[in-house]
Amino acid sequence: MKGRLACSLFLLVACLVLAGCWDYIEIESLAFVFGLGVDQVEPDFVVVLEMVKTSGGGQQPQVEPKVLATKGQSVSSAGSALSNPAGQRAFWSHAYVFLMSEQVARQGIVPAMEYLARSRHIRSTVWVFITKDCTVEEVFKSRPPVANSVSEHLNAIVLMQQAIAGFIPLQVWQLGHEFAAEGISAVLPTVKLVHESGDLVPIVEGTAVFKGDRMVGWLDGQESDLLCLLKGVAQRAFYVIETKVGEHGYFPITYELVGNQVQMKPVIRGGRAAISLTLTMQFGVEEVGRAPIVFRDEEMVKSVEAQLATAFTRRIREFLGKIQGEYNADILGFGQLLKRKHPQVWRSLREDWDLYYRHLEVELDVQCKVVLTGVSAEPVRVRD
Amino acid sequence: MFFWKRTQKNAPRPRGLDQLSSSLAVNLHWLKSDVFANDDTIVFRSFKTKGKRPLDCVLVYADNMVKHEYLSQFVLRPMMRAAVPRGVRGREVARYLSEQVLESDGSEFVTSYSAIGDKLMDGVGVLLIDGCPLAIAVDAQGWAKRAVTEPPTESVVRGPRQGFGEDLGVNISMVRLKLSSPNFKTKFVHVGTKSKTRVAILYLDNVTSLELVEEVQRRIEQIDIDAVLDSGYIQELIQDAPFSPFPTIGQTERPDVVAAKILEGRVAVLVDGSPFALTMPYLLVEAFQANEDYYNHWITASFHRLVRYISFFITTTTPALYIALISYHPQLIPTNLVVSIAAARKNVPFPGIVEVVAMGLVFEILREGGVRLPRPIGQAISIVGAIVLGDAAVSASLVSAPMIIVVGITGVAGFVVPNLNDIAVLMRLSLVLLAAILGLYGFVLGAIAIALLLSSMESFGVPYLSTMTTLVPQDVKDTLVRVPWWQMILRPRYLASKDRQRLQGQDGGGGR
Repeated sequence: MKGRLACSLFLLVACLVLAGCWDYIEIESLAFVFGLGVDQVEPDFVVVLEMVKTSGGGQQPQVEPKVLATKGQSVSSAGSALSNPAGQRAFWSHAYVFLMSEQVARQGIVPAMEYLARSRHIRSTVWVFITKDCTVEEVFKSRPPVANSVSEHLNAIVLMQQAIAGFIPLQVWQLGHEFAAEGISAVLPTVKLVHESGDLVPIVEGTAVFKGDRMVGWLDGQESDLLCLLKGVAQRAFYVIETKVGEHGYFPITYELVGNQVQMKPVIRGGRAAISLTLTMQFGVEEVGRAPIVFRDEEMVKSVEAQLATAFTRRIREFLGKIQGEYNADILGFGQLLKRKHPQVWRSLREDWDLYYRHLEVELDVQCKVVLTGVSAEPVRVRD
Repeated sequence: MFFWKRTQKNAPRPRGLDQLSSSLAVNLHWLKSDVFANDDTIVFRSFKTKGKRPLDCVLVYADNMVKHEYLSQFVLRPMMRAAVPRGVRGREVARYLSEQVLESDGSEFVTSYSAIGDKLMDGVGVLLIDGCPLAIAVDAQGWAKRAVTEPPTESVVRGPRQGFGEDLGVNISMVRLKLSSPNFKTKFVHVGTKSKTRVAILYLDNVTSLELVEEVQRRIEQIDIDAVLDSGYIQELIQDAPFSPFPTIGQTERPDVVAAKILEGRVAVLVDGSPFALTMPYLLVEAFQANEDYYNHWITASFHRLVRYISFFITTTTPALYIALISYHPQLIPTNLVVSIAAARKNVPFPGIVEVVAMGLVFEILREGGVRLPRPIGQAISIVGAIVLGDAAVSASLVSAPMIIVVGITGVAGFVVPNLNDIAVLMRLSLVLLAAILGLYGFVLGAIAIALLLSSMESFGVPYLSTMTTLVPQDVKDTLVRVPWWQMILRPRYLASKDRQRLQGQDGGGGR
């Protein structure tokens, strides 16, 4: 009995200790990958990793980012090849961001991002960006003023995107969904480098427009604001609009968007499909400057609201013209809407939706309301 | 041969010879040469009574076991002034003296040498009278006793500051004072062939289930051991699940706790010479209940009880979770934390598991070193251990700073549930080893094993996890939280008390 017990105990311990899948690791032997990117896919993949170098130990542990780039036949092979110069095992699970250069985006991003969607090591919540006018390596080698590493910097920007207008952050898994969905084109936020007190600082501004998995063009910051507005993403955005104040002429007044509701529905007008788009916006007056505007005056408020509606209608028309005509990318998902509400109509249009979309009629109705005026209803009075 | 054998120390005295003789000289001879041979603490005080026919008497007692003034004042003085009337002879003398002369409240007759021996060991004075085959045992117990103080192991901020001492009688009286009812019963059992320790079983006969009392008594009576020096002996000899490290019998130094447990329908056992009372049955939930919970406001008490549960979880699992996370699942740690742990562990020469086990050992050494030292030295040890060793070890990169935090929080949290502190160490160690071998999977396996062990245990017929594995409102009132007193209407169900009603006909402030 005792012998059997000892024997089975020995076998049990042997199973535990000698098993090949004993993946005990020491945490300090890992090189944590914070961000990764692909600069080029043809002819070879160029993969860039931002890793953190940990050092110190004892009382003063130190963390600093290191950027490594290498060529390889695929993202994963290049990535694992990077463990060699790093001298440590690359650990992917803590990656924040995935960047792709414009060149990769123009050629189609599926080869570059497939590994991220498939790998069990990388989280599907990694934020995806396209770099504009610079390579991924340049972005990773820039110096953010506050954050420790570029990846953390970009992650921080995404986390506070509610406070700064202008882009819709997207994670890897969402990107997959957008590619797969019918009747909608994907957009990705773009990263570019700006000069900031002598250093190159990465910022997130603008949007890359895709058709299929290929990038077809850019939207600048203002256009991205409109995109967010039309997608119904609650954003805190400021708009400076030349406003006519009674007989006093035009003044630049800053309005803050405090709320917006979008209603998009497909309608059939005389056998032709169209989109009815109703946009209701609430504004707060942020800054009036020298404008002699008094918000107790209802007539004046009405006039301001009408001017705002006109201004936004004009901007949105321009925006729609760009995405329908120039890029011909259905980034607002009109096709998807049509498919849901009028599947028969969609079936007949599906084959040449691109052509139809180019001339799709959008009935636009913009309503603006001024709901907040700050703590003062009157401008600052200056005695002559 | 025969005589030689009889004078042998351990030779049994022939049956007839155990009876006292009516001759004082014979009695003294046997007591001095046999029963109390080689014992210099036994005092033989000879004196004579008054009157025309003075009687030779000897008062025998064990030195320092009796109150000397009491014997002098209420035994010797009246005896030396008394005169035994003519015609009172033989056994009548003892009866006369006991009834009319001795001014002592407790006295009884003793007829054998062995009984005299037992009596003297209990601190009783024995009066031998010439010509009388009866001896009179006079209660005069008086030995050094410790004053009633607050027990150091269970000090309270609010609540009675009384703790048990070593004297059984005093201990019982402290409980009786709290339960002044004729239904409060005390049964004595003598345990130990050499020590003959008195063990008292305390219960309320109109509340406690009698089967429980009988079971406790049966188990105690079955004990066959030479001596019982502390209630720990009894505890280990009668408990269920002797191989499980979890206690199935509660211990306390406080009379208020004992009274509360008895009122719930439990049985308490007090052992002479031990300030630790045992209460049974004992369930896991009781380890998390403190007497102060019932004296403080129920909301704060409930909060503190939750803190105890959380602390127990922390103290048993933190090192294991730490090891599992840093060695197998670094992806589960928040990014900033994982990087700073990795940076702190740079240059540390030992693998995480070695670090955890070694630091745990160091902590236990420091604790064990401090526990039995006088308080001032104990503090010095803690300072040396905590500040000097910890700080130096981190500076020298022998251990990482996060490890110090893990060990620190583990150790401090362990003291929150003192009843389970010793077990927590074992649980912690086994979970750490499992986590080091199999990661979180091993940790979960260990947790399941502990849950299985706990749910298979019983204490005096009551499942060990009673009230912790149910959602019946009546049963959970005193588990995770303590509901207010006006809500605790019934006694616990699992104790099968005779009288379940606790709060009579009262519709307290909050209703039921």
